[in-house]
Amino acid sequence: MTPPETAGYGTAVSSRLRTLARQILGVERTPTYYLPWLTRPGLDCVLILSNIESRFKAGFNEGPFRLTTTQYDADGHRVGRYDTTLAESTDVAELPLTPAPPGYGFATVEGERLHTDLYVTLTTPEFYTATHGRGEFVERYPRRARAAMALARGALAPLGRTLPAFVRYQYVYERADSRSHLLLMNLSNVENGVRVSAEWSGRRLASRLVPIPPMGTRLLDVTTLTGRIPVARLKLEANAWFNLYVVGAGPRDLAGPLSLMHVK
Amino acid sequence: MSSSLSPLLSATFWEDGYDHLVEPVHQRDAQARRHLAALDVSVFDGNGKRLLDFTVDPRDEVVDLDGLLAGPLAGRGRVLVLFDARYDPQIFPYRPHHYGYLHRRGSPAPPLYYAVNAVLGGVPDRIGATGMNNFETYLFRQQALPARHAVLVANLSRFTTAEVQVTAYYGRSKVLERATLPPKLHAELPLPAEREGQPLERVEIKAPFRMATYVIGRQGQSGDLVLFDHLFTYFR
Repeated sequence: MTPPETAGYGTAVSSRLRTLARQILGVERTPTYYLPWLTRPGLDCVLILSNIESRFKAGFNEGPFRLTTTQYDADGHRVGRYDTTLAESTDVAELPLTPAPPGYGFATVEGERLHTDLYVTLTTPEFYTATHGRGEFVERYPRRARAAMALARGALAPLGRTLPAFVRYQYVYERADSRSHLLLMNLSNVENGVRVSAEWSGRRLASRLVPIPPMGTRLLDVTTLTGRIPVARLKLEANAWFNLYVVGAGPRDLAGPLSLMHVK
Repeated sequence: MSSSLSPLLSATFWEDGYDHLVEPVHQRDAQARRHLAALDVSVFDGNGKRLLDFTVDPRDEVVDLDGLLAGPLAGRGRVLVLFDARYDPQIFPYRPHHYGYLHRRGSPAPPLYYAVNAVLGGVPDRIGATGMNNFETYLFRQQALPARHAVLVANLSRFTTAEVQVTAYYGRSKVLERATLPPKLHAELPLPAEREGQPLERVEIKAPFRMATYVIGRQGQSGDLVLFDHLFTYFR
């Protein structure tokens, strides 16, 4: 199962500071497995659920396994709840996700003794591709911490800034016949201001503050930041825990077949 | 070179006609100052013959594989590209990872971002590692899919030939294929879409030590790559 890898996102000092800030704010981290979802007309998004990674793990390999999948839409609303039972660890179940507007979000999968990576697939009549989800966590901020976070966010947002509690980097590429988008997922119960800034060869290109509601998702067209330069490095800063998937698009952009890629 | 450096051996496959870019370090710091200590690249054909060697400046953020290989290797078909890197574990608190971008020029298919497969075996100070992760699995949707699937397997070891077992599962039946791979040899092993009316459900790869492996999907008519993914390793 893909482990959470957070150590590389800052120095040991900043990591300790974040831990201290979480303790002061009373933030809880709930271990959560999540996957992005993405639907378009003619594009099916189906999860592949299993517990196959547990088949050699004593105590984890005897079914039945009951899984609960919760589908969140782009604004963080629950648009689906699905119960699945796997009789054995090698059983596989397919779960088509509801194409709720605007056609993207993420889903969480819970299950006792669930210890495996799960897949999200995109299928059109001509194309099939897949990637996997991430076993990380969701942050829960208590009421007082949510209020403090809203104050800080409100002060910084008019400046186009956010509280940079978490930072990630991502390279993106553009070609004449391909495009890249980011699915930005807010893995917390507070509104998350994700500031995305692009640069290349020491030149700052553009930046944008993307507000994302709790458990919500936003789809960002990278060219709105980079123009059509062939390569750019993105820096993503956010006030609460988040992650991203890269969405690859061909010459028909979002109207054509798409690919999804997890990011460490 | 400091003896405290850690090794990182990774591999991908290059085919003519694709834009193919590789990031030596995926998670950069703000100024892209954090970089590998060294990065050597070697290229091998389908028979394991060494075709090219070159060194990449570890400060480079993106390596244009197609730009480097398309000229000297035109008409060669698919080749194995091996990345032999060294990194300072004090700079990288977790093992760095190369990532890639792949797209056939002019194709209607979407580009594929992917994680370059890291192979810990074959590097001297890792050979004695316990919990060798040499058993890998990948699942497919259980229906007829609009792609031809296969596994790409390469033996990156220096001296040891490996027998690789690839098992494809179709409902209650399975098909076992074996491939004997001397060092630096690679093979593309097709996975038939169905058997006795049952669709391909899963594939497993077993080997005596870690191979470089990818599951690939080619679009039915064009053959363009539409899936280029790593398998999942399990500790048995």
